[in-house]
Amino acid sequence: MDLSLTDDERDIRQWVRTFVEKEVMPLEQDVLARERRHERGLPPEELKRLQDTAREAGFFGVLTPEEYGGMGLSAVMAALVEVELGRSFVPFRFAGDADNILFHANEAQQEEYLRPTIEGTRKSCFAITEPGAGSDARAIRTSARREGDEWVINGEKTFITGGVEADFVMVFAVTDPEAHKEGRTGESVTCFLVDRDRGWTSQQIDTMGEWGPAALVFDDVRVPHSAILGEEGKGFALAMQWIGKGRYLLPARALGGCERMVEMAMEWARNRVTFGKPIAERQAIQWMIADSATEIEALRWLVLSAAWQVDEGRDSRQAQSMAKLFGGVKCNEIVDRMLQVHGGMGYTRELPLERWYRELRLLRIYEGTDEIQRRTLARNLLKGHVSVRGHLG
Amino acid sequence: MNIVVCVKYVPDSQSERTFQESDNTVDREATDGLLSELDEYAVEEALKIVEARGGGEVTVLTVGPAAAADAIKKALQMGAHRGVHVQDDAIHGSDAVATSLVLAEAVKKATDGSPELVLTGMASTDGTMGVVPAMMAERLGLPQVTYASELTVGDGTVTIRRDGDTASETVEASLPALVSVTDQINEPRYPSFKGIMAAKKKPVDTWSLADLGLEASQVGLDAAWTTVVTFAQRPPRAQGQIVTDEGEGGAKLAEFLSAQKFL
Ligand SMILES: Cc1cc2nc3c(=O)[nH]c(=O)nc-3n(C[C@H](O)[C@H](O)[C@H](O)COP(=O)(O)OP(=O)(O)OC[C@H]3O[C@@H](n4cnc5c(N)ncnc54)[C@H](O)[C@@H]3O)c2cc1C
Ligand SMILES: Cc1cc2nc3c(=O)[nH]c(=O)nc-3n(C[C@H](O)[C@H](O)[C@H](O)COP(=O)(O)OP(=O)(O)OC[C@H]3O[C@@H](n4cnc5c(N)ncnc54)[C@H](O)[C@@H]3O)c2cc1C
Repeated sequence: MDLSLTDDERDIRQWVRTFVEKEVMPLEQDVLARERRHERGLPPEELKRLQDTAREAGFFGVLTPEEYGGMGLSAVMAALVEVELGRSFVPFRFAGDADNILFHANEAQQEEYLRPTIEGTRKSCFAITEPGAGSDARAIRTSARREGDEWVINGEKTFITGGVEADFVMVFAVTDPEAHKEGRTGESVTCFLVDRDRGWTSQQIDTMGEWGPAALVFDDVRVPHSAILGEEGKGFALAMQWIGKGRYLLPARALGGCERMVEMAMEWARNRVTFGKPIAERQAIQWMIADSATEIEALRWLVLSAAWQVDEGRDSRQAQSMAKLFGGVKCNEIVDRMLQVHGGMGYTRELPLERWYRELRLLRIYEGTDEIQRRTLARNLLKGHVSVRGHLG
Repeated sequence: MNIVVCVKYVPDSQSERTFQESDNTVDREATDGLLSELDEYAVEEALKIVEARGGGEVTVLTVGPAAAADAIKKALQMGAHRGVHVQDDAIHGSDAVATSLVLAEAVKKATDGSPELVLTGMASTDGTMGVVPAMMAERLGLPQVTYASELTVGDGTVTIRRDGDTASETVEASLPALVSVTDQINEPRYPSFKGIMAAKKKPVDTWSLADLGLEASQVGLDAAWTTVVTFAQRPPRAQGQIVTDEGEGGAKLAEFLSAQKFL
């Protein structure tokens, strides 16, 4: 078993590492200062400038296939990239990615939605969650009624990331109420691509994180039959595919942040003296550092093993759920400890710890809560679909 | 035009750097190394010249331990065409005089004895002596044109601007020449994704002292004209002085600044 990186992996990671150190981290103090003034930390034009610089060097569309102008990197590579980006709390990401399910769109839809999304000239959002349907996505009630060659959409979506800025939405609606009532979601839900100028509205929801998602309202929004993404009645599978797209990437980003926080906390602990000694010499502090580093290492391998299984074309769902669950739980424990090491300073907005503390909390909620991950993991195990011995068998 | 760029592999200036107790040389094991940032400007300038002229090759040359291959790789990723790595255990501990000897011989070998243009950074980020370019020029019998913050290659000549404290000089030399460039001359590019992939296929020659016709006794610690006698950790920064404003804060500040000769 060889757990080292290939030369390519090291080289690409090194590039991203350098980029983060030279271009992204220098913005950190400005981001904090702006947020203290209740302004947007990383203004869109600054994000665009960074993305353009990266694109000039070919860093664009990390997971986007080459035929669509992306880099078409492996899942392992994407995870390694995400860890590096996560080392800064500046919300930077490379341009050129698009929602995975848009790649299933027909030619016309690809021209209208997929390619402009990759280019960044259009902005998407993904809407399944409703006030009455979160973890239990099958409970959605938003409906689409057929009238001639049109569909009329009615309902409310909530917590939709990017819903305020998006100019089109991938919205999931019930198109077969009978089948839906009987729980046959595999036939009852359809995904529609709906431009904002069709009449849906959005309202920002303030959260403890940086920028709020949105509530969307569909009030007799009419779209042509050609707005269907994929097949009529087959939307639920698309929704699950979107949610499952890269579960390993969320904890990867959090992992990078945790690495950085442990480094910051060690630096702090070496220099902070109480009762005549640096706190780094106290066992209470040392154990926080030791536990955090151990959990980071465990998470690293959960993430990379999940990503590797994706690349191998294996069924990686169990591994991805584990990485997402462990990442959510452990990263929240780690940020709490590292904030603790900083004492009162950790609680201030002079340092990014309280920011990470707020941001990381989301990891335990979206794209499947901790409890839902556990539910899935346990069910797969109990039904005998997977073995507790993991992919090595 | 073919250009040789001399680059150095140095300990990352972002990390804690130290010396080895055993022989007072830089501890290169303890920290990660990289292509000296000041040399990136030389690589960039060479690439720009070759690109502008629509032809020629950029060869990156380094003298250093096995890990120094990383510095060559970075330059190849940026777009240089080939690399030369002079690596020999006997070189360990060489001073600037010996390093310039090895570099000069390697330049000769890489160019079949007739270099067209040799570029270097202004100094290394670890030793920061900035004397190697001059020594190499002397050994190669080339005009040395140093600290270029602007560089133009003409017909058989090279012209630079050198910015001093009081004046900017324009200096012209005949080609072939050796030019060292400053960090003002350009903005080094990031290697591109394609460049990273392409770099692996570019040729890198590894030469020993024997390949250059040099003897171990001409280089290394024993042959060095300078030695590091002792080293010590930089003392921690002293506590700053706090000026409390009780009406005359401004005056106190000015007093402090003028005492430190800032005013
Ligand atoms: C910032 C943010 C961005 C989001 N972005 C999007 C987006 O872009 N698109 C989108 O469609 N949605 C999005 N969501 C919605 C997100 O996916 C849901 O919030 C999530 O699925 C949880 O649903 P819920 O909030 O309705 O909680 P609920 O499902 O009501 O769950 C409440 C609590 O009960 C627990 N629970 C639920 N069922 C069970 C069970 N069977 N057993 C044990 N415990 C259970 C949950 O784990 C949770 O702790 C976003 C949410 C947030 C906060
Ligand atoms: C919002 C806020 C309001 C405050 N209000 C007031 C106020 O009104 N008046 C006032 O005087 N102060 C106030 N404080 C200061 C507060 O009491 C201190 O922040 C607190 O005592 C911790 O001190 P510190 O921040 O210097 O952390 P440090 O003492 O530097 O501690 C850093 C970390 O090291 C740990 N540590 C320290 N020594 C040891 C040891 N020997 N062994 C093991 N672990 C150790 C700590 O538990 C902590 O985790 C306030 C702080 C905040 C954040």
